[in-house]
Amino acid sequence: MLLVLSEEHKEHLGFLTQVDSAVVGEFGRIAVEFLRKGTNPKIYEGAARKLNVSSDVIQHGVEGLTYLLTEGSKLMISEIDFQDSVLVLGFSEELNKLLLQLYLDNRKEIRNILGELAPKLPSYHSLEWRLDVQLASRSLRQQIKPAVTIKLHLDQNGDQTTKILQTDPATLLHLIQQLEQALGEMKTNHCRRIVRNIK
Amino acid sequence: MRFRFCGDLDCPDWVLAEISTLAKISSVKLKLICGQVLKDLQGEGIDYEKILKLTSDARFESGDVKATIAVLSFILSSAAKHSVDSDSLSSELQQLGLPKEHATGLCRSYEEKQSPLQDSLRTHSLRLNHLDSVSWRVDQTLSSSELQQVNEPLVHLKFTVRDGDRGMMEPFAMTVSAEKFRVLLAELRQAHAMMKTLS
Repeated sequence: MLLVLSEEHKEHLGFLTQVDSAVVGEFGRIAVEFLRKGTNPKIYEGAARKLNVSSDVIQHGVEGLTYLLTEGSKLMISEIDFQDSVLVLGFSEELNKLLLQLYLDNRKEIRNILGELAPKLPSYHSLEWRLDVQLASRSLRQQIKPAVTIKLHLDQNGDQTTKILQTDPATLLHLIQQLEQALGEMKTNHCRRIVRNIK
Repeated sequence: MRFRFCGDLDCPDWVLAEISTLAKISSVKLKLICGQVLKDLQGEGIDYEKILKLTSDARFESGDVKATIAVLSFILSSAAKHSVDSDSLSSELQQLGLPKEHATGLCRSYEEKQSPLQDSLRTHSLRLNHLDSVSWRVDQTLSSSELQQVNEPLVHLKFTVRDGDRGMMEPFAMTVSAEKFRVLLAELRQAHAMMKTLS
């Protein structure tokens, strides 16, 4: 599957032909660093001064490289497809090889970073519980009513929320039984077939 | 194999695996590390540097040090949770493969600190909120827009409630007329008498 690059994108990447390969390597490293930690506009200024061009051109060059890498990693294109997509830009053989190496080296890490951007539901963090027995209330004395109080700690993108639940032991046993049944589903033939095919 | 200190369940696999790591330290150093872990379990904070120094001649990597602290925390807190006496704990640890001197050293530190540890675990048990303080004021209403001579006493009550997780204080105020207050007091006295018969 080939990457289709827009005209604007090709223009931005065109800047890379005007500099030597060490600088392109440096831009590649900056692009990956930005993917890891976020952009830092000051680097553009420094590079612009050294290469004697406006910082906009540098920014477009780095962003073009970043987009090329993320699109490639997102679609998980093969080496040949990546090379063909880059050929369109009309770069030198050396530059093509450099870009391919950059793509192959960082593909796995970029895929990990992209994976973290998907929306997430609150996930389990921890559980606290307490068993109480209600012996009397204002309306009725001499009771015995056991109750389990549960505090469920959930975690969503770093925010912690808690949910407080209360149940009697019979419902709790039913809940445990349902959850064990759900776990047991993994051992059925249907699930086993799917898991085998994914692997 | 069922162990009392695991709550009459099987011992977790990771604990079994780390018992051999514990055997690598000398029993004297193990006792000192136990002291540190017990301080941490009681909420007094842990001196990681000291533990690193104590494990330095066994040449532990950082993973091993963390595993040691984790397995000691589990053993000590689990034993306190299920109120296991130190002799049973010692024999069960020896069944798991911990050498005799290590087991006796560990159990001696456990025995010294068993009651304070259980008290601190009790305070950390799940509790939704605490009543922090009560303040009150008695007023006498002289007259109002409806009736010129009212002459009735009124109680203002303010409860300060401490939230379970975050420890934030929330005030909760209300005004009670004399009869309602008498009913409230009578009911609370009955509840108090019932609590006294139980403790």
